[in-house]
Amino acid sequence: MNTGDRVMSPVIEARGLKKSYGANQAVDSVSFAIQPGRIVGLIGPNGAGKTTLFKAILGLTQFDGELRVLGRDPRSERNELMQDVCFIADVAVLPRWLRVSQALDFVAGVHPRFDRSRATDFLRKTDIKMSSRVRELSKGMVTQLHLALILAIDARLLVLDEPTLGLDLLFRRQFYDTLLNDYFDKERTIVLTTHQVEEIENLLTDVIFINRGHVVLDTSVDAMPERYLQVTVTSENAARARELKPFYEREVFGRVAMFFEGRSPEELAPLGELRTPSVADLFVAKMQGVS
Amino acid sequence: MSTPEATTAASMPPASLTTHQSSVKVMGTLIRREFWEHRSLWIAPLIVAVLMSLTAFPIHIGDMDFEGAPNFGDPANRIGTFTLMIWAHTVPQYLIMSIVASFYLMDCLYTERKDRSILFWKSLPVSDATTVLSKFLVGLVILPLGVYVLAAISGVLFLGIWSMRVASQALPDISVGWNTVAWLKVQGLMLYGVVVCILWFAPVAATLVLVSAWVRKNVFLWTTLPPLIAIIIEKAGFGTRYIAHLLGYRTFYGVWDVLGINPTPPEEVHHGRVVSLANLFDNVEMGKAFLNIDLWLGLAVAAALLVAAIRIRRYRDDT
Repeated sequence: MNTGDRVMSPVIEARGLKKSYGANQAVDSVSFAIQPGRIVGLIGPNGAGKTTLFKAILGLTQFDGELRVLGRDPRSERNELMQDVCFIADVAVLPRWLRVSQALDFVAGVHPRFDRSRATDFLRKTDIKMSSRVRELSKGMVTQLHLALILAIDARLLVLDEPTLGLDLLFRRQFYDTLLNDYFDKERTIVLTTHQVEEIENLLTDVIFINRGHVVLDTSVDAMPERYLQVTVTSENAARARELKPFYEREVFGRVAMFFEGRSPEELAPLGELRTPSVADLFVAKMQGVS
Repeated sequence: MSTPEATTAASMPPASLTTHQSSVKVMGTLIRREFWEHRSLWIAPLIVAVLMSLTAFPIHIGDMDFEGAPNFGDPANRIGTFTLMIWAHTVPQYLIMSIVASFYLMDCLYTERKDRSILFWKSLPVSDATTVLSKFLVGLVILPLGVYVLAAISGVLFLGIWSMRVASQALPDISVGWNTVAWLKVQGLMLYGVVVCILWFAPVAATLVLVSAWVRKNVFLWTTLPPLIAIIIEKAGFGTRYIAHLLGYRTFYGVWDVLGINPTPPEEVHHGRVVSLANLFDNVEMGKAFLNIDLWLGLAVAAALLVAAIRIRRYRDDT
């Protein structure tokens, strides 16, 4: 990808990535590239292979095929890689015995790019006390603590796997606001998964849909209106619309919402009401439509 | 990082950007971490040391039968009793420590998988080798050396309390007196013993670490049952006891052979004298232990077991 004179090399580049657990092919020949300065949503149903992909990126599992993260192989160069990569694998992985002050001491002691004052500044805005143990905190507060630790690390890639699972709406909103306002910049890349697609679609710059171990969609959000259109067709136009081969259709209040790929607005406009599908709608369409 | 070039940094060798945390600082942090999580590592030895110091209080020497006891007027016997008291004082502390250390080592790579905190530890730039080594060092080296220091301090406290009680005539005058040279010699002998024990028990500790990294549950059973079953099968099937001997040698009595200390030279006991550990110190050939081939074989096995534990932690994928 060329941007001006600068050649940007991808933060993550996968080619023919494969991983199977016994007979189950969790990830099957997946290829994609993630550029720096993007916020990429890795979206797929349960068991689609998202977590396997994450584990491969973070060097937590073995795999076949080619994968470079920040130019390194996560299988053999994990230790070096983790200097520049942060991840929240799941909520509730902070050990229950850990005190907040100890968490800060620990990360400060092992991570060369940890800015302790940043973390304490963030924690001061919360109800979390330095002397508290993780077991005394609510689930939302544990996530805030984890986020405070991560945000204070000057990393180039942040990987989040269901970071807000089990949190209430206020904590979820706050989590993403903090991520966007206090952390993200042009030199950083965030890759995340979540079930709550609607909540994060406004902050994503790119989406990768994955289903049954395959990438079914890989696009920037900006490019989506050019590629995908949703037309709400009245029943008399339905047959005509079907000739243009929608990849998914859904009945809504007596009318049919059809999803097209690679059709021009001029072609579709006479058939009904045109709009760009939301990421959530497109996700459902891609997952359920037989293409 | 604010230059335009930084956006292309993905292709640059990141080592040039990376400022490494000093490995001493990382190791120190990892070791502190173990004492945060496993508080029994310092609480148990501390309690035992305090209790042992306090044993100087309730002993009613006056009620004891001194018939056949050594003559305390003999300076050699005074030194002998002095050194034996210091030594006996430490025994419960090392016994409790070995239990604490065993349970700690069985637990050290198991709990982090059970509570899934391994995913947090692994999100930080600490290699699996460094992590496993830190836990091994805490259980095998730092804990015994810590107990060595505690035992030395509590021994002095014990003798101090004892002497005050003698001075205040709460006890009959069997004050053994203070003998700095003898004390230093005993401490030297003990330190030598601790160091040899650390080296000798390294394969045992490494085995516990490996089991801790390996099993899915019931670490204690996985540690204790397989050797027992092997012993029973060998006995029933072949009528021999090689495994039992090997395990006994490696986990218990072998260390006495290596130390080369025979604590009760019989001819001296017959003459009604108390053998001074300080004298023993003069007779121990320090270098001999380190020439023992079994000691080095054990260390080689320990290294191999640790490498296996590190690889399991690195490549395991079930969290």
